[in-house]
Amino acid sequence: MRQRREYHIVVLGAGGVGKSCLTAQFVQNVWIESYDPTIEDSYRKQIEVDVRAICLDLTLQEQSNLPRCGQGFLLVFSITSLSSLNELAELREQIIRIRDDENVPLVIVGNKSDLEEDRAVTRARAFSVSQHWGNAPYYETSARRRANVDEVFVDLCRQIIRKDITAAQAGEQEAYSRRRERPIRHGRRRRREKQRCNIL
Amino acid sequence: MSSVDGRSARQSKRYSVTALYLSMSANERDMEIEDDLAKAQKTLRDLKTKISAQSKKNFVLEKDVRYLDSRIALLIQNRMALEEQNEVANHLDDAADVQEGSFPNDEKTQRYGNLLFLLQSEPRHIAHLCRLVTMAEIDSLLQTVMFTIYGNQYESREEHLLLTMFQSVLTWQFDNTPEYSSLLRANTPVSRMMTTYTRRGPGQSYLKVVLAERINSLIELKDLDLEINPLKVYERMIAQIEEDTGSLPATLPKGVTAEQAAENEQVQAIIEPRLTMLVEIANSFLTTIIDNLEETPYGIRWICKQIRSLSRRKYPDAQDQVICTLIGGFFFLRFINPAIVTPRSYMLVDGTPAEYPRRTLTLIAKMLQNLANKPSYAKEPYMAKLQPFIHQNKERANRFLNDLCEVQDFYETLELDNYVALSKKDLELSITLNEVYATHSLLEKHSAELAKDENSHLNVLLQELGPAPAQLPRKENKAISLPLFSKWETAIDDLTAALDITQEEVFFMEAKSTFVQIMRSLPSNSVVMRRPLRLEKVADAAATLRNDAVMVRKGIRAMELLSQLQELKVIDRADSFSLLRDEVEQELVHLGSLKEKVIDETKKLDEVYRTIRDHNGYLVGQLETYKSYLHNVRSQSEGKQRKQQKHQVLGPYKFTHQQLEKEGVIQKSNVPDNRRANIYFNFTSPLPGTFVISLHYKGRNRGLLELDLKLDDLLEMQKENQEDLDLEYVQFNVPKVLALLNKRFARKKGW
Repeated sequence: MRQRREYHIVVLGAGGVGKSCLTAQFVQNVWIESYDPTIEDSYRKQIEVDVRAICLDLTLQEQSNLPRCGQGFLLVFSITSLSSLNELAELREQIIRIRDDENVPLVIVGNKSDLEEDRAVTRARAFSVSQHWGNAPYYETSARRRANVDEVFVDLCRQIIRKDITAAQAGEQEAYSRRRERPIRHGRRRRREKQRCNIL
Repeated sequence: MSSVDGRSARQSKRYSVTALYLSMSANERDMEIEDDLAKAQKTLRDLKTKISAQSKKNFVLEKDVRYLDSRIALLIQNRMALEEQNEVANHLDDAADVQEGSFPNDEKTQRYGNLLFLLQSEPRHIAHLCRLVTMAEIDSLLQTVMFTIYGNQYESREEHLLLTMFQSVLTWQFDNTPEYSSLLRANTPVSRMMTTYTRRGPGQSYLKVVLAERINSLIELKDLDLEINPLKVYERMIAQIEEDTGSLPATLPKGVTAEQAAENEQVQAIIEPRLTMLVEIANSFLTTIIDNLEETPYGIRWICKQIRSLSRRKYPDAQDQVICTLIGGFFFLRFINPAIVTPRSYMLVDGTPAEYPRRTLTLIAKMLQNLANKPSYAKEPYMAKLQPFIHQNKERANRFLNDLCEVQDFYETLELDNYVALSKKDLELSITLNEVYATHSLLEKHSAELAKDENSHLNVLLQELGPAPAQLPRKENKAISLPLFSKWETAIDDLTAALDITQEEVFFMEAKSTFVQIMRSLPSNSVVMRRPLRLEKVADAAATLRNDAVMVRKGIRAMELLSQLQELKVIDRADSFSLLRDEVEQELVHLGSLKEKVIDETKKLDEVYRTIRDHNGYLVGQLETYKSYLHNVRSQSEGKQRKQQKHQVLGPYKFTHQQLEKEGVIQKSNVPDNRRANIYFNFTSPLPGTFVISLHYKGRNRGLLELDLKLDDLLEMQKENQEDLDLEYVQFNVPKVLALLNKRFARKKGW
């Protein structure tokens, strides 16, 4: 059997935009009706993207304060709340700053597309945000109707895979030279290569 | 708003009169008495002032540390341009205490005094502003609102005004949130404000009293793994098997699904006892929280009450369960659970909890949240195993959430407090110039919305003030004491008329209060202290006291009042003034227990004050570390051009194993107990920013182990939340090492 790849995705966004609903629909095909704020949840799902077997780990937090771990990010807002879109800007900035990477895989998700009558964010507006953010893909989803749910996760996986391949080809050289630029350290402290993911 | 039945109306009026009388006489300094109660009350008052001031300082420091937290990572990665380094340095250099000062001219003082009086006494303006500002603007506004304009956390008028503001903000949110599921969820300036509110003195002291002990005892159990997510349990299990035996049996493949992991019998066997323990722990948390209903700060309970009444109004058909969910959406989600999940940022514990306890705390928080919500278990199926906990406790949790809401309103006292505030001439606000200017510019920016009506008071004041001045550099920022007064003087010639009190009542209150004061000042073994009291004798005893002019005046006044009340036929000499006498006696009994209460409260607040001072020390230390590091980086880049300066070697400083263990620097030791006494460490700093830690065994010349450390390595570890520094025989705790180095090696200019 071919080695299954493991990816870690973090779902971010303001409270109440439907991060849990979206994820639960994707992973478990269920619709959560109740008022149930998340403290911290994790999920796993095995999927196949372009004949690659992928094992996805997903993390959700109500106070999404530390987006340092994870290879890809879903930035979720609700189309019924402009402020929920505005909040994403700061989150994206944090991700990019910590990752030191303008092209970190991410997807912008406008959830609650079934609530068209309460729409407060026009498509045009969301698209312009996505353009400003290096043409990050923008999707409108409805967790309630299960519309576009799989698509956002698959798109994110594709981006991560693409990045993986490029990194495998050219990345090693670059990573090596970047490490060299850093001041040489003495001492025997072992450097932990694998970035640990701590949730504060 | 408030429900007024006959009884409570009478009671609150009685209360009002007492309060009014007390606040009026509070101004008469020379009439003050000095018994134990008065002293205890003064201590308590001073303590409250100190807590308010310290909370504000910490808030400002936290802002600085947050700012630097976000910058220091860049600096470590050498990705900060020189200009930005300079900017950060400027930010730091001036972080010292703000100097006292005043406005450039009196006219400004007066106009800003008018503006801030309006903002303080009419909370709707700030409530409105909170809805308009962006997340980026909220921090400075919050600082001004929570810690300055309504900064006296224990003063009823400011507290009540702040709560009124919350009410207005909450009402708006309920009216403007389309879906029930989004209520109280969004991360808006409003929710930030509510969170900040829960972290002021009273909320902090509640968390400390109620939760700190429980959390700490959990954290001590570093190796207690209570993970119940089958996937995680499975993975840890096979990792262990692989480590022990070197291989994995075919029956235990890697990368299984959640369902497969949950079906594994070994996994089930591991999880089973953990469920029992989790339920036990969660139960103990819940019981503590419920038992401490009366400790819950009034303001937090009052906000719960507002949420309940707003929900009932908006969803008249909603069941009790739904409403409890929303109350829990504030009480648990915004107040209790953040403190359980990240106890360190709430000053409840000293260090960041280790991995297992941290996960246990998260699980406890999830269980408590599930109690308040109606979980579907669709999210994480394994949580369904904890359903018995929910079933057993649902009812008492709902009852508790409803009990939380059972507090009195304050509108009548607030109205009264406002009258008193208006009549006082000495209303003052301690505020910095930059706070004033920042508030002014926010008002200006949103004036189109805030002051739609040209003739509104706010608009008139803004027009008079003109454009808002820019923020001053930190060095020029001054703390001022701004006298507040209304531009539109409300004439309150006759407070009694405004409050609908008769002259008789005023006399009666004064008489009662005067007698109580006399009784408190007379020695307790005096003959006139015997019950039943004979009021005339008491007055006489005071009036004839030698060497005490104040008491003599009180005695004479008491006599006058007795005869006036007699003339008005309020009391009767024939029954020894029983009406007044009984009330005075009651009051004295009440005061006796009051003293106990005051002393009790002082004890609790002492604890709070100590905690926030400790936290202050931590914040200052953190800033110092950053400062030194930054200085070091900058002097290095400058130093390249110049000749290498000669630096003095600092140290070695010697520490014993025991010392470091006690201070928490050693968090884990593999040294056998009987050898520990022979182990010591030397800390040396050969160059600024570089340290050598060596481990020695008594009697041997050479150290067993030497470790070179750079400050930026340590900072980076701290950033990445790596808390262990491995020295083979012992494990150091990174933040504690930083604190130690900070204390020992802080050179005047960098390390």
